[in-house]
Amino acid sequence: MSYFLLLAVNGLVIGLIFALVASGLTLVFSVLKVVNFGHGSLYMLGGYASYYLITALGLPSLAGVAGAMIALFLFGVVFERLVIAPMYTDRVERKDEYAIIVTFGLTILLTNLGLVVFGPFAKSPPSFMAGALIFGPLILPYDRLIAAIVAVVLLVGLTVFLKRTALGQALDAVSQSRESAAVIGIDPRRMYTVAFGLGSALAGGAGALIAPIFALSPSMGDLPAVQAFIIIVLGGMGSVGGSIAGGILLGLVQGLGVGYLPDPNRALAYTQAFGALLLVVTLLLRPTGLFGRSHLRLE
Amino acid sequence: MNRHLHLHLGAALALAMLALPAPPAMAEDPIAIGWVGPLSPPGNYSGGQEMQWAVQLGVDQINKAGGVLGRQIAVTYEDTKGQPAEGSAAAVRLITKDNVSAIIGEFHSSVALAEIEEAHKYGVPWVGTDVWADAITAKQYPEVFRLAPANSLVYVKAADWTAEQGFKNIAIVAENTDFGQGGAKVIADELKAKNVPYTMATVDLNQQDFTPALLRLMSQSPRPDAIQMVIAGQAQYQLVKQACQLGLAPTAQTALIGSSGLLQKEVWEVVGPCAKNLLIVNVAQPKSQWNDKAKDFVKAFTERYNRAPTGVALEAYDTLGVVVEAIRKAGSADRTAIIKALEEIKYEGVNATYSFPTDKTPDWAYHQFKDVPFTIIQYTEENQSPEDAAIVYPKKWATADKILPGK
Repeated sequence: MSYFLLLAVNGLVIGLIFALVASGLTLVFSVLKVVNFGHGSLYMLGGYASYYLITALGLPSLAGVAGAMIALFLFGVVFERLVIAPMYTDRVERKDEYAIIVTFGLTILLTNLGLVVFGPFAKSPPSFMAGALIFGPLILPYDRLIAAIVAVVLLVGLTVFLKRTALGQALDAVSQSRESAAVIGIDPRRMYTVAFGLGSALAGGAGALIAPIFALSPSMGDLPAVQAFIIIVLGGMGSVGGSIAGGILLGLVQGLGVGYLPDPNRALAYTQAFGALLLVVTLLLRPTGLFGRSHLRLE
Repeated sequence: MNRHLHLHLGAALALAMLALPAPPAMAEDPIAIGWVGPLSPPGNYSGGQEMQWAVQLGVDQINKAGGVLGRQIAVTYEDTKGQPAEGSAAAVRLITKDNVSAIIGEFHSSVALAEIEEAHKYGVPWVGTDVWADAITAKQYPEVFRLAPANSLVYVKAADWTAEQGFKNIAIVAENTDFGQGGAKVIADELKAKNVPYTMATVDLNQQDFTPALLRLMSQSPRPDAIQMVIAGQAQYQLVKQACQLGLAPTAQTALIGSSGLLQKEVWEVVGPCAKNLLIVNVAQPKSQWNDKAKDFVKAFTERYNRAPTGVALEAYDTLGVVVEAIRKAGSADRTAIIKALEEIKYEGVNATYSFPTDKTPDWAYHQFKDVPFTIIQYTEENQSPEDAAIVYPKKWATADKILPGK
């Protein structure tokens, strides 16, 4: 039982970080109807932003995370205005292809720029707190505990923001129908910018939270990006709540899968396979994902 | 009539010109050498970068000293991204487009195995820098030479050492590549022969969270008293950090043994105090054995790149040195002549004195440099450099007679 608990708690913690990354991707997809293939590189950028804020400016670790989220929000706003926005005009004919190309381009650009600017050698900001919480059979490094708590705060905050604020409801309205939203006085283009900025901030926040746990490298966003895509399909395309549930579920399934697969030699190497299996089984049982509906709206 | 005659003469002249061989290389044309290695993801680009820097330093030094055979050296660098398909395409480009006399480099065994097929097909010498899979030289291609150790050269000794240390239950954690799986098999076979129990765990190099697998190791009864990682590059950082945070290793109960990726100074930034007491398989001469060339190289590398070279950089620098020496010995940049010269060479580099025997038994021994300097070191203080770390193996170079922390 204690072994199960250890695996489950670790899976939950990692799942919360997955959820944070995926909820940002979902937000962008719901509102802009754009699949942001560059989401992983924003996660990477957030990690480096927090690193330099902490090591160069001397900010406390959590302030570094907040600073990285602000920096990535601004980056997302500028990127959306300069690169995504032309998609809404007549200047771009093949809008879907344009979105795929520019977001893929973002990944290639940022990863290669990262190699040049940040260098090829690994970096890591200092720990949030050294040591581990030991409670009975439970061992949880404080870095992971703090990252999980901050992730919960951010996810709850995001949910409340979307449900309870005028801006959140405006985002929801645009996610349902940009034309109808425009009729009642909501500027869809402004909402696109806000959504892309928020999505970038969430990816950046996840990268900043994970930085002391793993290490920073220009390619660190590749795997989380793949996992985020699995999660948003798993949770139901366009559902923030589904992304949160999907992220946690993916973390749990991967952790428990590695812990209990009968072949210990292959268990860890199959980590991503557990995620793929979960996705296939879910889609077989619920083709719209866990919380998905036949129509797309922000939930 | 005259017009027709002129046309015929013109056509004949054009055909004659086409039939003529390409003009011979001018005496001052540089000798083209190709370099292959990972410089971007998903390859281990930090190792590739060190290798490239070392080679460029060597090229600049050789050219400044007048080149070889009165010609400058020009190296074309190809980023193989840790992908076999990229390595194969890069080798073909270097051979057919850049017309290189030899190909050097590579960090990933799986990529090297793709490259040597092209080198073999075109008869181009290929000299591997830091690729360990036995299969590379076991194919016994006449064009393929290797400075780095074969897995069987190093990991048999490493396994023997762990058995001698009295470890009774060893976990082998290996990457899912030709290098990792090959190395793990060598260790496992040796431990089996010595009746030392072991377990194996395979990791994907893209993996970041090793905690579930480490928890599984912790739950084993008995818990492993040594973890041997067969993982190249920086993926080990995560494993070391997570094992330490869980209190698994390196501790008095469980030793943690890694490889060359842990020699880069960033290990202290990423892993922090957890790197203390790490054991590392190192294929570089200990500082006490450095020759003048090694001292000069370390100084020049450190001055130029603001970081000390690890064993990978030494190997890369020597790979270039070996090929240039073969060109000098052959008296030509002809590919076949270089291959012949490499078989006869005895070249003193910064890390060793190289030769490439033609023994065919065991199969991996063909064109395999055998006297690779091999040590197991242990960081005994925080922020220690590999040169200052304790040497626990082999006895002839050992600076410590027991590993830390004591049981």
